[in-house]
Amino acid sequence: MKKALATLLIASMALGLVACGGTETKQQGGNDTPSTEQGVANKGTEEEVTITYCNFNASGGNEETLNAMYEKFHEEYPNIVVEIETVAYNDYFTAMQTRVSGGTAPDCYELNIENFAAYASKGVLADLSNADTSNFNETALSAFNVDGTQYGLPGNFSNVVLIYNKDLFDQAGVDYPTNDWTWNDVQIAAEKISALGEDIYGIYAPLTYNEFFKVAAQYGGSLLNEDKTAFTINSPENIRAAQMMIDRVLVSNVQPTTEQMGGMGDWDLFQSGRLGMIPTGIWAFNTFTTGCDFEWDIVVEPGGTTKATHFFSNALVVNADSDKKEAAITWITWLASSPEAAQMRIDAGWDLPAIKDEAVLNTYLTVTPPENKAAVFESLDSLVVPPVIEDYAMMSDIITMKLSEAASGKISAEEALNQAQEECEAAITLK
Amino acid sequence: MSKQKKKSGKNKLLQALPFMIPSFIGMIVFSFFPVVISIFLSLTDWNGLEKLTVNTIFEHFVGLENYIKILSGSEFWRVLGHTLYYIVLYIPLVFVASMGIALLLNKKKKGTMVFRVMYYIPVLTSWVAASLIWKWVLSPKYGIFNQILAILGISGPGWLTSEVWAMPGIVLASVWKDMGFFGLFLLSGLQAIDPTYYEAARVDGANKFVTFFKVTLPLVTPSIFFCLIMALINAFQLFPQVQIMTEGGPNGATQVMVERIYTYGFSYFKMGYASAYSWLLFVIIFVLTMIQMRLQNGWVHYES
Amino acid sequence: MSHKVKNILANVSYYAISVSIAIIVMIPFFWMISTSLKSKGALMALPVQWIPEEPTLNAYVQVFRKFPFLKAVGNSLFITISYTLITILSSSMAAFAFTKIKFPFGNGLFKVYLASMMIPTQVTLIPLFIIMDRLQLTDRYASVITPSLFKAFGIFLLVQNMRSIPNDFIEAAQIDGAGLWFIYRKIMLPLTLPAILTLSITTFMDSWNDYLWPLVMLTDRDKMTITLALNTLNGQYATEYNVLMAGSLISMIPIILVYIGANSRMKTGIMVGGVKG
Repeated sequence: MKKALATLLIASMALGLVACGGTETKQQGGNDTPSTEQGVANKGTEEEVTITYCNFNASGGNEETLNAMYEKFHEEYPNIVVEIETVAYNDYFTAMQTRVSGGTAPDCYELNIENFAAYASKGVLADLSNADTSNFNETALSAFNVDGTQYGLPGNFSNVVLIYNKDLFDQAGVDYPTNDWTWNDVQIAAEKISALGEDIYGIYAPLTYNEFFKVAAQYGGSLLNEDKTAFTINSPENIRAAQMMIDRVLVSNVQPTTEQMGGMGDWDLFQSGRLGMIPTGIWAFNTFTTGCDFEWDIVVEPGGTTKATHFFSNALVVNADSDKKEAAITWITWLASSPEAAQMRIDAGWDLPAIKDEAVLNTYLTVTPPENKAAVFESLDSLVVPPVIEDYAMMSDIITMKLSEAASGKISAEEALNQAQEECEAAITLK
Repeated sequence: MSKQKKKSGKNKLLQALPFMIPSFIGMIVFSFFPVVISIFLSLTDWNGLEKLTVNTIFEHFVGLENYIKILSGSEFWRVLGHTLYYIVLYIPLVFVASMGIALLLNKKKKGTMVFRVMYYIPVLTSWVAASLIWKWVLSPKYGIFNQILAILGISGPGWLTSEVWAMPGIVLASVWKDMGFFGLFLLSGLQAIDPTYYEAARVDGANKFVTFFKVTLPLVTPSIFFCLIMALINAFQLFPQVQIMTEGGPNGATQVMVERIYTYGFSYFKMGYASAYSWLLFVIIFVLTMIQMRLQNGWVHYES
Repeated sequence: MSHKVKNILANVSYYAISVSIAIIVMIPFFWMISTSLKSKGALMALPVQWIPEEPTLNAYVQVFRKFPFLKAVGNSLFITISYTLITILSSSMAAFAFTKIKFPFGNGLFKVYLASMMIPTQVTLIPLFIIMDRLQLTDRYASVITPSLFKAFGIFLLVQNMRSIPNDFIEAAQIDGAGLWFIYRKIMLPLTLPAILTLSITTFMDSWNDYLWPLVMLTDRDKMTITLALNTLNGQYATEYNVLMAGSLISMIPIILVYIGANSRMKTGIMVGGVKG
């Protein structure tokens, strides 16, 4: 008993340590906010502000470009100093979550779409309605608007196109795909290509949540009802979409099973020249350009009853507790939408800026392969944005798990979606 | 009598104090406080993102709800089953492999130093690099493992792509990675054996077999015990290899305790729930370790 | 004659076994070397390409170009060496007190120490971070060095070893009038040298390879460790495996050197112990 009491005592001491520290920082924040509220919108004249910016997007080879962008920015806004921290994608979110809950998040940082909704709904992000969003692509901007409040700016943008191996199409004697193709046309071509050899497959579209919500949209389905109050995972449209994807593996086998993949990645399979088509992100271009020793090109992704194309973007956000919000907003707006930064981003072959300015985007078209780069922009007409809900990661894991069970033949497509619907309803409360 | 005993106890405490201070302070600050905070968090529905202060615990207090939810659901028991399956395969294999290595390296032959470095290389290799290569080794179609089995006339399983064989695949990779680590401790145990014991055994005319079981093995039992406890604690906390090699798949067949804890805490933003999960895991490991501690009197020989 | 034949056979089988284990164990290492010599395109081709078609040292050049490599190595060395020394000192002192002073509550405390290893660090990460923040240690080297004060693993290892040292040694020394510090330094440390060296190797390696904790604590680029630096090569969509492997290989060198150094010390250490015993 005594022991237990002593333990409690020490425990409360530990918590006390946390508590007083907590209020301390709050007070500091409160005092500082008014003085910097007017911010640094006027160039040059104000006193110097130093902000911190943390990102993962530049890891894996683009740190130099980001630094060059910052130098340009600093010329324009000499009073804003940005301390840039680039962190690997792998553990970025673990580290960021720790810092956010510890009250030491950077002034502004980057989030992927999966984590964005959770952060926004938990009140740790600042409202960016004051930011100048005139240069941004509107669809991209809307992805980070939660119930009318803009919590993030699209830092970049990617979409998905159908990449195909021209050589295999030639060998199979099939015409190249066009922008008007539907999945039926793909199926016919895929069967002919698969027939070329035992280890050759027609198409690979992973049985995952990310792939599924888009194909569902192509058949007129969706995962949530319109006002996001209920799941509609097992709707007839969705079942039709899932059935089509699973039949490719189990019935016609134009797509390899996991055993047939043999631990190989889908990109590797394509690069080895044994895969006819792969719907994948435009971020594959660089890898395929160096990795493929055959001709390949792209078209707008085929659809079902309608077209729908993936849209991916990372959000640039500002810490709700930051006392330098204005400077932070100035920096991320510049980074994401200024013509200078956009140009540098494209020139470096990093990724695409989510901006309207077509003149800048046009320089992107001149880099080949792929020949038909215009398809990247033609895809923009039918963008779908993944449903932004608080428990995004959990929903996507449940659906992926059920789809992969169906793809292994354990359960039918309909059963998979029924179970996914049930589990999501049980585990996730929608607002 | 009892007074004297008390006094000597006090004396001993004073004598031990200077030796204990550094680790004790470290324990309180870096282990005890965080651990106590995590107990309190396990009673909340805190999401792991909102700023953590003492108020967090009152605002988000849910009592034992997390524990009840975990224990009444099926996931916990399924995941515990996977973890135990791993342990049952891993512990004997890694023990035999590391003992074999230690005995091999303990021989006084030319070149053991080179082998010593080589056998330790897997320990130094990061899981990122190791898992890439193991994915290939265990690839059902192109992998070297199944190709060797094919030569022996056995048709190899799907390993990481099969629900049944994914866990044994992870066990193989883990044994490969860890045997040098435990081998090192067993080797240092072997080397600490006083050579006079071997001489005495030789004088008694004991053959190699008898010497091993009557002299070597008993004398390394403290090291074996250490390895056993550490292997058990680590095995229950199996995580990076699963995260990198299978991400809990296929179809959840390799979901294990810490993988779930990480997912709930850092991917689903249910840190309170994750903390409760951890405390249940703690109870299991603690009970098993204490049983081991009790049993050690039966087989571990400390003083000669 | 037959003895000689037997000897040769024993040697042959010994080396045959040792070499075949070595090959199995080293396969991924060979692959790392081969990958580090590849150009960007040929990284992930399956089946694995063992010998790069056009080997290049480009990846190694990149390692030195991409980030302040030497600075990062310097930071890592400073952190790791301090960390290892503190661990050895603090752990051996505690193990000595646990095994040879037998103070009241010692057994209970030892169990508490052991128990601290059984809580997954994933759930104590945020609480520990907050404590570090309140102690104003964030973004200081101290934040990654001070946790070395308490390494339950090291204490457990040394306790296991010190328990095997007969109490007679200590009693004899005490009769000669030796104090506890003398016994600790002159008897216990030399006699447990193999274990201490083993602990140095694993502690050095752990600290050198530690990633998540330094990532959370050190935001200042000038304080970046080599492991942090190498990890920035992992991108969201693409990873430069050749540069990553080149960097990993270079970063393994210090650990291998420490390993070899500790192993050669181990032999002399045992002789000292033997003479005393």
